Amino acid sequence: MDDSDEEYLSPSMPPSRGSTDSPKGDGVSRRTRSSANGAISDLKGANGYAWEDEIQRSWDIVKNDENGDRSLESIIQSMIEARKKKIMRNPSTPFQRGIIRTLIVVIDGSLAMLEKDLRPTRFAMTLSLIQEFIVEFFDQNPISQMGILMMRNGVSNVISEVSGLPQYHIDKIRQLKARQHNRYEPKGDPSLQNSLEMARSMLMYNFGGGHSNDTKNSKEILLIFGALFTSDPGDIHKTIDHLVRDDIKVKIIGLSAQVSICQELVNRTNNEQKSISSKNYGVIMHETHFRELLMDCVVPLPISEKDKAEQNEKKNGVPLIKMGFPSKIQPKFTVSINNPNFNIDFPQLSASHPTQGSEDSKQVVEVSTGELGSDMNPNNVIGYQCPQCKNKVSNLPTVCPVCGLMLILSTHLARSYHHLVPLAPFTEVPVSSSYTSQYCYGCLLMFPKGVSVKSKASLESMTSSRYRCMKCSNDFCIDCDVFVHEALHNCPGCENN
Amino acid sequence: MATTTTALATTTTALATTTTALATTTTCKAQPTYYNRQPTMDAISDRVFTESVDSSNDDPSLLTVILDLSPASWYNIKDQISINEITKSLLVFMNAHLSLNNSNQVAFIASGPQGSKFLYPNPGKVYDEIRTREEDVDREPSPGLVSKEMYRQFRVVDEAVLEELNQCLKEVLATDTHKSALSGALSMALTYTNRMLTLDQSISTTTASAINSTTNMKASSNAAGGSGAAASGTAANSVSLMKARILIVSANDEDDIKYIPIMNSIFTAQKMKLSIDVAKLGTKNSSYLQQAADATDGIYLHIDDPKAIIQVLSTAFFVEPSIRPYIILPTNSNVNYRASCFITGKSVDLGYVCSVCLCIMSVIPDTGKCPACGCVFDDRVLAQLKRGPVVMSRKKRKVEGTPAVNP
Repeated sequence: MDDSDEEYLSPSMPPSRGSTDSPKGDGVSRRTRSSANGAISDLKGANGYAWEDEIQRSWDIVKNDENGDRSLESIIQSMIEARKKKIMRNPSTPFQRGIIRTLIVVIDGSLAMLEKDLRPTRFAMTLSLIQEFIVEFFDQNPISQMGILMMRNGVSNVISEVSGLPQYHIDKIRQLKARQHNRYEPKGDPSLQNSLEMARSMLMYNFGGGHSNDTKNSKEILLIFGALFTSDPGDIHKTIDHLVRDDIKVKIIGLSAQVSICQELVNRTNNEQKSISSKNYGVIMHETHFRELLMDCVVPLPISEKDKAEQNEKKNGVPLIKMGFPSKIQPKFTVSINNPNFNIDFPQLSASHPTQGSEDSKQVVEVSTGELGSDMNPNNVIGYQCPQCKNKVSNLPTVCPVCGLMLILSTHLARSYHHLVPLAPFTEVPVSSSYTSQYCYGCLLMFPKGVSVKSKASLESMTSSRYRCMKCSNDFCIDCDVFVHEALHNCPGCENN
Repeated sequence: MATTTTALATTTTALATTTTALATTTTCKAQPTYYNRQPTMDAISDRVFTESVDSSNDDPSLLTVILDLSPASWYNIKDQISINEITKSLLVFMNAHLSLNNSNQVAFIASGPQGSKFLYPNPGKVYDEIRTREEDVDREPSPGLVSKEMYRQFRVVDEAVLEELNQCLKEVLATDTHKSALSGALSMALTYTNRMLTLDQSISTTTASAINSTTNMKASSNAAGGSGAAASGTAANSVSLMKARILIVSANDEDDIKYIPIMNSIFTAQKMKLSIDVAKLGTKNSSYLQQAADATDGIYLHIDDPKAIIQVLSTAFFVEPSIRPYIILPTNSNVNYRASCFITGKSVDLGYVCSVCLCIMSVIPDTGKCPACGCVFDDRVLAQLKRGPVVMSRKKRKVEGTPAVNP
């Protein structure tokens, strides 16, 4: 407390920090600031920590313009417009996507990631964003696979193997975040070449391997690069050549500044012209921009023109995959032989991959009795039955270890169907004195009544609050409009016709 | 529970039913450690994979009931139960839900071949007026179902549903299509739930509607709420704590549900963390409704003998999703995860999938083109797939042949 009192009374304190109300709180904040001053004082200049200056109050957005009256309305108008634009960004014309993707995420784990320009550090921020990214990625790309690498101390470390289970990746990232596992604290220099080569080798393992369809899946690498240099054991240009040859596309998000070799890497692997700034290489401006760039990688890539032309030339089109949609079955067979007093619980045999892609992924038949007392989670025991060979597996999606059929939940596939049949945007109903609809078709919200239009000035700032589906000509409120287009993807009105 | 089934004829006994249902709930809750199951979110690949947050059980909840009115299916089970009887049971169920918590809400959607319709709430009508008028005229939609002495909230719901349902059935008789509009009903339920969950939550998400709802608060609380200004007022204040679930009652035995819209609805329900419960009457299981319940952690029950449906409703379906992990529910874990073929519309469990657009086919199209995206399929792959079992014998020959080549 002595320290803080002293700091509080020190004359160097800027008068702008309103200290009269809360002297204690201010004193504490001053103390922490000054103690860490030496290390990071040059980061943000006079503003101090990032978390101290970026306070945005919602009421600060509202400002008085010249008229003074209509400021609130115009701001709300612009907010509404911004949301509409966000919806419109989703293209409503169907186009083909290589939806079965395999993505390797490479995280920078070098010393540069300990910089505190993102809060609390670049590394921690990246990890929490990656966690969100995993959830979003598997939501949009249900049968895709992902693997995570980290470049640290001159080498590349595998964080998670290529797998289609989101929970697995999230667990791994969570372990990385936990402090007791500081085996992977950021350290040393990054090596682009090492991690790119490792990512390339991981991408070779694709959908169980050995299938005829592994050539047309899109192979991608997403690199989050905080450093401004790379220390490589060999010629990185050769690595880039290999990536181009294997048709692997690289996207990079830079956390500090643009790096020439990254630009070259992105341009060459995406078949773009040299020294052109590409949308696949972004350098973040701030936290939200980082999130935007990351979330842009969620959307499946459109099939490139070159690929389309190739398909037409060679006439050997896209592969057709045979898939099974297994049924969920009960964990236990209970058989009573002619006598209800004798119940026999058969243990269930399930043949499944324990870990995909690793050495011990040779087909293991595990016997799980499904006892609640055992350390095995009883939910794991619920199995899925292959429709072709009636073998049971415990995890989906996977390749049936007995008959080699690809097993998938139909819900996994159906998750991407809204890309196929996009919903046309609703149009705003023009302002008039009377409307046909009284309330929102989706949520029964009462619409405002029609008003008589007096002048043009008032017309511009007014909305009818109705958004009409042009197919079924039902009116919706803006909430339902956004909800229908962003989450539901089918119009309630059209479904009822 | 034996008293429950006998005392069902009129809705006036709703409170009695509720107390028995409550009793079952509390006895089940009394032994949570014994029945404690692991949270289902962790290990299963097909579930929503975010952490579940424990919340207190006092939060209000919204119950949306969807009643499938497709005529053929109800005709098939006319010996077992009629729409009249099922409506009685559903009204008891909804009244019981309302009586659990003062700010609980219900919605009722009827889905027939002519489309889906909100029976309750109905913004076009003010039910307080009907009540006063009916005291004068005594024109009741179904005499014997609604008593004058009933608790007001129950009566508002019951009158609205019965009156609208009669109209709805007339419309069903007038139409001659047989398509199910269940996907539309589900979409409406979701948009309505979305509004109830997010209304007034923050100014940034509901700019226009927040203003609308504040200016029209009076009108909407009278018309849309119907249950009085007190209930809707509390709902507006504590919306973020609102929970919601959907109950589908269907007797439809045909899998004529539109596949993509129903799947979209399931995923939306998953995202919103609301459960879809299904009470399936009739003779067959519906695989899509099974999937809906399974994917959203809901309950799917195929009710063979629907005469005692109120007992099923008031036990299995009455349990709120928040306390479901502590109770062993009568659900069957055999779920048929079949998909729908894009060409024939039939459900398949072994099919072919286009690798560009992921559309599912039960047969290889003769044209060699994808019916959804128009992509040309690889000839070699097609030939390989069409050969079928022959591939095995040739592989054997290859295995025999390779050692011969090697030396």
